[in-house]
Formats: sequence, C-alpha cells, structure tokens
Amino acid sequence: MITSPAPSPTAAARQWFLARGDLGALVEAIRGTGRRVIGPTIRDGAIVYDEIQAAADLPAGWRDQQSAGQYRLERSTDERTFGYSVGPTPWKRFTFPPNLPIATAHRTNTVAFDQPVPDVPSLAFLGVRACEIAALGIQDRVFLGGQFTDEDFRARRSAAFIVAVQCSTSSSTCFCTSMGTGPEVRGGYDILLTELDEGFVIQTGSPGGAAIVAELPTRQPSHAEVGAAVDSVEAVRTQMGEPLPMAGIDERLKLQLDHPRWAQVAERCVECGNCTMSCPTCFCTSVIEESDMDGKSSRTERQWDSCFDVAFAKVAGGDFRARPRDRYRQWLTHKFSTWFDQFGSSGCVGCGRCITWCPVRIDVREELAAIAPPIAPVVQPVAVEPVAASPGTFSIARLASIKAETEDTTTLSLTDVDPAFLGGRPGQFVMIALPAFPAVPISISRFRSNGIDLTIRAVGATSTALVNLHPGARVGLRGPLGTFWPIQEAYGRHAVVVAGGVGLSPLHGLVDALVANHDRFESISLFYGSRTPEERLFRDDLAAWSASKEIDVAVTVDRAGPEWKGRVGVVTTLFDMISWDCTKVTAFVVGPERMMQASVQGLISKGVPADRICVSMERHMECGIGLCGHCQMAGRFVCKDGPVFRLNDLGDMFNREGI
Amino acid sequence: MATAGRTARPRVAVAKFASCDGCQLTILDLEDQLLEIVSRFDIVEFPEATSRRSPGPYDIVFVEGSISAPEHIDAIKELRKQARILVAIGACATAGGIQAMRNWADHDAYRAAVYDHPEWVESLAKATPVAEHVKVDLELRGCPIDGGQLLELMTAVLVGRRPQIREEAVCHECKRKGTVCMVVATGRACMGPVTTSGCNALCPTYDRGCYGCFGPRTNGNAKSWSKGLLRSGRPPEEVWRLFAGFTGYAEPFRSVITELGKAKAKT
Repeated sequence: MITSPAPSPTAAARQWFLARGDLGALVEAIRGTGRRVIGPTIRDGAIVYDEIQAAADLPAGWRDQQSAGQYRLERSTDERTFGYSVGPTPWKRFTFPPNLPIATAHRTNTVAFDQPVPDVPSLAFLGVRACEIAALGIQDRVFLGGQFTDEDFRARRSAAFIVAVQCSTSSSTCFCTSMGTGPEVRGGYDILLTELDEGFVIQTGSPGGAAIVAELPTRQPSHAEVGAAVDSVEAVRTQMGEPLPMAGIDERLKLQLDHPRWAQVAERCVECGNCTMSCPTCFCTSVIEESDMDGKSSRTERQWDSCFDVAFAKVAGGDFRARPRDRYRQWLTHKFSTWFDQFGSSGCVGCGRCITWCPVRIDVREELAAIAPPIAPVVQPVAVEPVAASPGTFSIARLASIKAETEDTTTLSLTDVDPAFLGGRPGQFVMIALPAFPAVPISISRFRSNGIDLTIRAVGATSTALVNLHPGARVGLRGPLGTFWPIQEAYGRHAVVVAGGVGLSPLHGLVDALVANHDRFESISLFYGSRTPEERLFRDDLAAWSASKEIDVAVTVDRAGPEWKGRVGVVTTLFDMISWDCTKVTAFVVGPERMMQASVQGLISKGVPADRICVSMERHMECGIGLCGHCQMAGRFVCKDGPVFRLNDLGDMFNREGI
Repeated sequence: MATAGRTARPRVAVAKFASCDGCQLTILDLEDQLLEIVSRFDIVEFPEATSRRSPGPYDIVFVEGSISAPEHIDAIKELRKQARILVAIGACATAGGIQAMRNWADHDAYRAAVYDHPEWVESLAKATPVAEHVKVDLELRGCPIDGGQLLELMTAVLVGRRPQIREEAVCHECKRKGTVCMVVATGRACMGPVTTSGCNALCPTYDRGCYGCFGPRTNGNAKSWSKGLLRSGRPPEEVWRLFAGFTGYAEPFRSVITELGKAKAKT
C-alpha cells in the first residue's frame, strides 16, 4: 500500500503467533483473495522473487553468503524460511516493470497515438525487508511526489499487498543501518512477520492485513516469543556493526566533483549497469519503437536503462557524459547527493545489491569513503576561561628560550604556563606584563605541548624590555583572550592564508593547525609578503612548510637585495598563482591595514565569498576584556569581539578611514 | 528507402566470403516474414537460397563472412561498387570471425596442420572484417545475426530511417529478463559485461556464459574485465580464449588479446 493506514493503538499492540508448519495457510489465504503471491524462491543459484504457489516454493533451510561481486547459496543449519538477506531481484520489477508498452501509433489518413490501459495484476509481495519498504517509499516520491506522475506505477503500487519480514541476519554487503532504513521494519506493510525457531510473530498494519490474519490458525504469542522477536531484530543491528559515517554525504560529494578517484574507479568499472538495474530505486528508462515494415503502425515500449550506458546522455552533437568517470560520478552523486535536491532523501537504502552484483567488485561504500571522506564532527573545545582576567592580576610564566626573528622582532617561548593558555586557539592573544612595565597585547604565534610562543616587535617600553629578558625570567600573563580563526569553516575547501609582515605571527598557529589536519582541506596555501627578505619572520618554519606536501608556500618581498632569488612585489601579485575555483576558498588575512584591504579586494575579485574571508584587526588594547574603551571599532571591541572577524561581519567598517 | 515506394522494390543481393552461412540462414529462418519480405524486396542474388544469378547494381548488399583469401579483396571492392547500401552481417564480416584467431598465430603452421596439401590452399595471413577493405554503411552483429535486428534494419531501409539498434551491455538484457548473474552467483565466466546486446541475452538465458559473439561494446572496458577474469583465478590461456572467440579481432578485445598473449609468452 502506498501509505499504510495508521493502525489503531490496540491493533498495533496486537500480535499473533503462527506455527512454522502453518505458513502455507498464509500463502493460501492471500491467494484466496485473488492475488498472486510473489516471494522468495530459489532459481539459478540465488533467491529471487517470483511467483509462489505454496509454502514449499519458499527457500526454507537456505542461507546466502554475499560479498562484493559474489553471491552463494548454502544449506542452513536451521529450517528458517527467511534466514538470508536480499537477493538479486528488486521489488521495482513488479511496481516498475523492466519492459512496459506505453503507446501504439498508427498512420492512416492522419496519425493517431494510443496509450494502453494499464493491465495491473493483483499481487502480494511476500518477504519484503525494511530496506525494500524504504525503496518502495523512495520510488513513491520519484513517481508520485511531483507535478507529473506515473500512473502505471501508481496502479501497481496501490494494488500490491505487502507482507514484510524482519531480517534475522545480514550480509557483509548490507548497510541499512548507515542509511537509516533498517534493520527493523517500522511501517509500510499490511502484515509483518518476525521469524523465530518455532514460527512467526505476526503484526498487522492495515485492515486488509488483519482480515487475512483472522483466517489463519494463530494463537497468542508468549511473552518470551514477543521478546525474542524484538531481540532478533536487535541482534541484526549488532551484527552489522558501526554504521558508516553518512552525515552530510550529499554536501561532501558536492565538494568532490573533481576528485581523482572518479577516474580511478572508472578504470575498474565495466559499465555493465548491473548496479543500477539491481538497485531498488534507480528509475532511468529509455523508449524503443517497433514498427511494421511499411511504418504505418508502431509500438512504443519503455525499458529499464542505465546512466552507465554510453548512449544515455548522447545528443546529436555529442555526449554530455562522454567519459566513464563522468558516468560513474553521475550515478554515485545522484544516488547519494543530488537525489536529496530532487526528492528530499537519499536515493540509497543500503540494500547492498550494487555491491554484491558488481562483477568487478566495486564497493560503493569504499568509493564514498575515498571520494568524500567523513568530516569528523567538529569537537568544540571546552570554552577556555581566561586566567587572571582582571586587569590587575597575572598568572606567572617562565621564559624558556628566546629567538631573534629579525632585527627588531623576537620570539619568546614561555613554559610553566597555566593550562588555560595551552587550551587557547590560534588567533587569540595574551596580555603580558613585567613589574614596572604596562601590559601589552601579543598574539600567540605558536602552541607547544608545554607552552606558548609570543612573537614581539620591540617598539615600545614593555616590548623592548621583554625581548631583552634572559631564559629563566618570569613574566605575567593574562588570557588567552579574544576570538580565534574558525578553522572548521574551511573544511572541504581551499584554505588560503595571506600574511603581511609581522601579520604572520597570529597566523603561525593557524598554519600549524591547518597542516596538522591537512586531509580535511581541499588544499592549503600560504601567501606571505614582507618588505625585505631580512624582515621575513619564522624563516625556518617557512622553509619547512615549503618543503612539505601539505601546504603550498609563496613568498614575495617589496624590495630585494642581490641575494634574493624569489618574487618581488606586493603580496597580491601572488594571487596570480591561484588556479582553483575561488568560490571554494576560505581565506585568513592579517597584515598592515592597507595590505589587508588590498588583499581582500584581490580575493573578492577572484570570486572568494566575503563571508569566507576572515581578518584579524589591530587596535590599541589596554585591558583586553572590553572594559577600557580603547579598542572600539564602530560597534565592536576588537579585544573581546575580535580580533578575528569575518569580513562580512565588519561590513563597510573594514575599509573605512578613521574608524 | 522512402523514395522507392511500392512500385520499385529495392534490389537485394546476399553475398558471402569466409563464413559458415549461418547468417544467411537467419534470413531464411524468418519464415513468418519471408512472404512479406519478398513482396517488398526484390532478392535477385542469394546463392544460399537460389542458383539464379543476377548482376548489379543493387540497392542493398548483405555481406556475410570475413576477407580471408586473396580473391576476396577484389570481390568485395567490386561488390561495394555495385551496392548503394552495403550491410556487413555477422561476426565474420564485422569482426573477422572465429577464423581471425589465426591473426595471432603462424599462418603457415596453421595451414600445414589442417590441410594435407597446404600448397593448394590460398589464404591471407589474416582474416579481416569487411570494413577494413571497403566502406560499410550498416552492420549487424552476432554469430549468427539476430532475426529481429535484421527485420528492424530492413524495416528502417523501407521506411527511410536509421535502424534502432541499441548498443547496451548484454547485462542489461539479463537484468530486464530477471536472469540471475552467473558470474556473481556461480563464479562462471561470461563476456556479457563487455559485449554488445542484441541477442536478448540468449546464452545466459540458457545458463551459458556469453561468448561475446555480438562483439565488444563501443568503448567497453574490456581491459578491466580481463583483469577481473584473471583475478578470479583463471589462467591467462583461458581468458585469452574467452576474448579471442568470435569477435576477438575487434577492438578493444584485440588489445586485450595481444596483452594476454604477451603474458602467456612470459609464463
């Protein structure tokens, strides 16, 4: 039935028990209503769905072994009738026939087209599994859910009486738990059977089902039998193990249309179309015409077709999906991604037929994992409460080492820090002070396992005093403070870091985090502009990053001596190297305000969306907690609401003089 | 041939080269349609059916057989001149046929092994499809050809349209018929995934693997399929034989056979 009437609470609770030997009575009772029964039976070495005359036609005592490209039947150790998982036949065979006459045409004095009246048999489907009920529901949405409907399907579907069966075992190819369609049948049936050793626990889902069950020699099931029925389905769930990480698979695939794996899988795929023909939801068809020899009358037949067929997307001028990789991508992305756009759900129910019946053993689960790997759920770290938040109090840290970066810039490595600092995030800053020197805000340039680095340009009293300290000295710290780089917003995208001068300092920790999680990004790039070669920060790290595969590094300088062999020019000149689709870029920009403005303009003109550009703003910060008023920028305190902002959150304040 | 109309029936010739005549028999086997066919076509040359001979030109020439002997070369060129539409029929005419297995072998050694007096036999070192020698307008595949496709082609010529002959995998036909895939369910070999449809999956329907007699699908991934057959534990000789059967000289089967031959030579 298309929609099973909601059973009344009492009916839903009502269960019956049918002894194993009385299963034939169910077949007879259904046949007695004038329906043909279609159910599982053994043919050609497999359990197919075909006409069942009597219970003896059912495959009692058989089970299947399925894996990619392989199906074998073997004798079971018990006499169960449904102790196997789904075979080669999808039920669509009976609701959406493989060959269907759809029109006849005649040419006499004029032309005439006639549509045949659907000739719909009255069928009962016996042994429908949870994934298969889900598949029927998906085809309901495909054929009946839109403006135009398939009336032949409607007639066949409405006429079908559904006897569902709870799975009592699963195959290695089953993944219904991953697609949320099973293993338990939750609705969409007239009668539901759960097989136990001695017989069947029966529930009904419609008045028609109840009428059939009323004719059967049933008894009340014992509590133990009812419990065993529940346990049986749960055991299948346990047998299937952890579900695959399918969350967001539609979006994940959309980001991977250019993945090299498409070409690799296409080298294996023989494009036989067996996956699509075995799939219980695939609905592609073509029509063929047969005419008599003088072309005066013809017959049009609709046939199952497949998007893997080389002619499927052909037009007079050529083929829209000319390469095998195009066709494989079409199938997989339709099934798991664009189906959501068209029909509001996945096109896959996890029955595993496309895996078992692939003669070259392609496993769609492996392809999905390779092409669109799961993006691990973003673990939001426990919000770090800054230590010594109050302007007058400081946490003490020890200076472990000190390293000159340039003539006026020095990196202090601090250790023995409060654990709160270790829990800080790239982009945040600390207030650092010495007795007799006012606190100054300094970005955390690096997180180490036992401390943090601060990179300081010696321009004022405190900063000059700090860079002249010796290892072992103690300093006062407050923090970590402010907002941080939203790294997860770049997952699945091209992460682009643009740094100018000492602006690389608040970006260093970001680059470290990007590189550590490089497989979550489409690519990672660092564009760094410095006034001179000598003013480049972190030269050892730049060399290491340049040598690594995980990040592409490009450096340019405004003015160069004879030693410099690299690029010369402002940082935006490096944007010529961007070859990828900029709508898929998330950018992180820090530097002098002029440089940031030019960089942002350059990125936007390349097509990077404004809400995908993050900047870190600099303002005079005294307190670091939004209480002193120094760092106001229009409606925001840069210390508390920033320093990291999304460009679109700043609006036209970003590019405005005197704010 | 929309312009021919009823009054002028198209003149049809059926010719053969190196072949078994099975495709010609398929024409004669269209028993229910034969009267209609001869009422619409003037079959003037058909040695398998009648000893009456009639010179060209012809509207349609059906050519069976591969070009296998020196005299075939001139003969097919002459037929081409006489034919308005030249149709190659069957695996021999479209792919070289089973006799093209010699194309990978020592021709003289084969000849000496088979004939008492090999010097009396004049044959070419290679059996080749008709299209290697002359332009072919239409092809019917198969060993033998399918009667339904032949009727469709003749109908199309009469009505004046292109014949609707699909090039799917044989697997499509099996799946629509509901035939269980023997490769997956029994482990037996089948050429269906890489073979052009048209036979309505005849062999798999009778529980035999597809022999590939309709020839390789356009752009079919024969390479992957040969790997799959090897991976299932078959020796290269067996896979070689599967591909080299009826249509092995047609690409991409030909490349697979050449590769497998190299593998065989190494072992």
